[in-house]
Amino acid sequence: MSQRIRLACTAAALVPLTLLAAACGSSSGSTTPSSSPSASAASATGKSITETGSTLLFPLFGAWQAAYSTANPNVTITSGATGSGTGITDASQGLVNIGASDAYLSSADLSQYPGLLNIPLAVAAVDVNYNVTGVKKPLNLNGAVLAQIYTGKITTWNNAAIAKLNPGVTLPAEKIVTLHRADSSGSTFLFTSYLNAQDPSAWPSADVDTTVTWPSVPGSLAETGSGGMLAGCAVKGCIAYIGISYLSKATAAGLGTASLANKAGKFTQPTTAAINAALASFPAAPATGAEALINTSAAAGYPIINYEYAIVKKSQPSAAEASAVKAFLGWVLSTGDTATYLSAVGFEPLPSATLGVAKTLVSSISGM
Amino acid sequence: MAASAPTVQPDGGAGSPLLRRLGAWLRARLRNGDLIRWLGRGGAVVPVLMLGFVLVTLIIEAIPAIRFSGWHFFSGTTWNFGSQYGTPVHSDGLTHNAGEQFGALPEILGTLATSAIALVIAVPVSVGAALVIVERLPRRLASVVGMFLELLAGIPSVIIGLWGALTFGPFIAHDIAPLIADNVPNWPGLGFLRGDTGSGQGLLTSGLVLAVMVIPIISATSRDLIRGVPLLPREGAVALGMSEFECARRVTLPWVGSGIVGAVVLGLGRALGETIAVAMVCGVALGTLPTNLYAAMSTIAANIVQNLNTAITDPLDIRAFAELGLMLMVITLTVNVIARLLVRRVAGTALPVGRGL
Repeated sequence: MSQRIRLACTAAALVPLTLLAAACGSSSGSTTPSSSPSASAASATGKSITETGSTLLFPLFGAWQAAYSTANPNVTITSGATGSGTGITDASQGLVNIGASDAYLSSADLSQYPGLLNIPLAVAAVDVNYNVTGVKKPLNLNGAVLAQIYTGKITTWNNAAIAKLNPGVTLPAEKIVTLHRADSSGSTFLFTSYLNAQDPSAWPSADVDTTVTWPSVPGSLAETGSGGMLAGCAVKGCIAYIGISYLSKATAAGLGTASLANKAGKFTQPTTAAINAALASFPAAPATGAEALINTSAAAGYPIINYEYAIVKKSQPSAAEASAVKAFLGWVLSTGDTATYLSAVGFEPLPSATLGVAKTLVSSISGM
Repeated sequence: MAASAPTVQPDGGAGSPLLRRLGAWLRARLRNGDLIRWLGRGGAVVPVLMLGFVLVTLIIEAIPAIRFSGWHFFSGTTWNFGSQYGTPVHSDGLTHNAGEQFGALPEILGTLATSAIALVIAVPVSVGAALVIVERLPRRLASVVGMFLELLAGIPSVIIGLWGALTFGPFIAHDIAPLIADNVPNWPGLGFLRGDTGSGQGLLTSGLVLAVMVIPIISATSRDLIRGVPLLPREGAVALGMSEFECARRVTLPWVGSGIVGAVVLGLGRALGETIAVAMVCGVALGTLPTNLYAAMSTIAANIVQNLNTAITDPLDIRAFAELGLMLMVITLTVNVIARLLVRRVAGTALPVGRGL
């Protein structure tokens, strides 16, 4: 009998091994098409581009991917919603051509991988959603209160600090369930940047990152991906930070969307007008493309907006791959960066000065 | 075979005198047994080399992190990668992220505590199930139940993790944990069982999910052991007027005692190293020790798998993970050695004790 168990276990152990081998085989085949004889014949015309990363960008990237593949049937694009941290890591290790990230590259990333570019693609936002019994109106929240919620100092929805921001709203004595990302996430970086910008004493700058050591809060939940945050927020009393591309789903699921305080102290919803007002208050992106767009001073501006980035190695493995990536990113920055694709996910096009920076960055990509 | 071998040309060596000579040499070694002997020696050395290689690599990789953390690694309760976006700080001759610190106490205790919870639940259930399958159930039913046990052992851990995160965890948090938390008397020492019952990700859920994964291992092994107990002593016990329970307690279980310890160690090995299922239900709390039985926590393996993406882009983080991995290896090896000593003390039939089946 124990032999049979052993056999079953061996079989179970072999299955992932073979899967792994298959996965490695296929990914190496797609990143280096010249390695297999059939692909090398096709490489003159057929090209493949690989992408992993941000779950916030993923719905939009899917739309871009479909449209671009239809217009260019000889180009194969594969993509994966893995979280921004994986996108940055994969791109830096050369596993994929494009790593999608909501966060620009950190100083640590840049010192370790000097050949990486962060190219702005579009403007996105992160909203704070909640599931509070009986609350229909959008709640007003600011960084100080959110920091106290996420450090466990405020534990129920009828806390005086929340009530003070929301006069006239009847808040239930419901327990707050904080949701945070378990994977390395650009949304986490943007959300913690906002907390730090609003109240540096409650949320120190050392706790601003794509992976954060979350304070211990009873009942807190760790979720993977923007979709995981959305699904996890079915719990009564929850609060979560979710990318704007999931806002329509969140609303459909009955979640509320908080009006967040900006630097001017005004509470705004993540609307097109508020995102553009915030965007206008910041200068154009510098030549590196990395710019924080958090906590706008514009009274009508929404405080958590960001550029979505393509993390790309400046020198691609081959000239063919470099030209394929450049052609695709060029298309994204012209045809892809319009309301046709962006409005469905609540994104905004790049301002013209930043668009110029992005195009310069794309043109600096070259093959080895 | 050996007689006909010289007449048949080795197919690869046709035309090449070198290959032909190699073939002849190999055949000679095969005939006098040298080849088998070398293969056997190689097979014996490779596992030792592999263990040594892994240990040495981990130690070398971990040295900068050991220097950086010192004893704080064992006493500190905060595991923080620091801010990669901040300005790097210099201290102790190392450049690292601001706020970076590696206190592994919560992960080490979390690894031990989840495994302990798993064993507390799994051992009685498994041994009981094994006894019932062998001694009480009709043969056909026993084989069906046994088959289910084996199937349970074959379920990939990611599926158990998914079930734990979506179904089992919330059920524990809403229906089971409040029963315990509200009814435990308010005595000193039991405070750990009281308090906020959380939302389903945490210590208790992790332990129970591990128990589910460990039960088939312990019970299937125990069943085979108990099946091996001779009928005569058991019949003797019944003839002396013992009840079935007394027979099991005084005859069957002592007969296979050391074997069951071995089975439990197999299960413990699985529980200590189990990664993805725990990572999905533990809540990945890296900042503090769990305040009660239901609080979010983390284990060594879960921390490594959840945060590898972050660590890989930072030279010091990945070293800290090497130190953490070294810790897990030390814990697993220590548990194995202790179990071997236990088995020797309990005596009886010596059974192979190790990790995994």
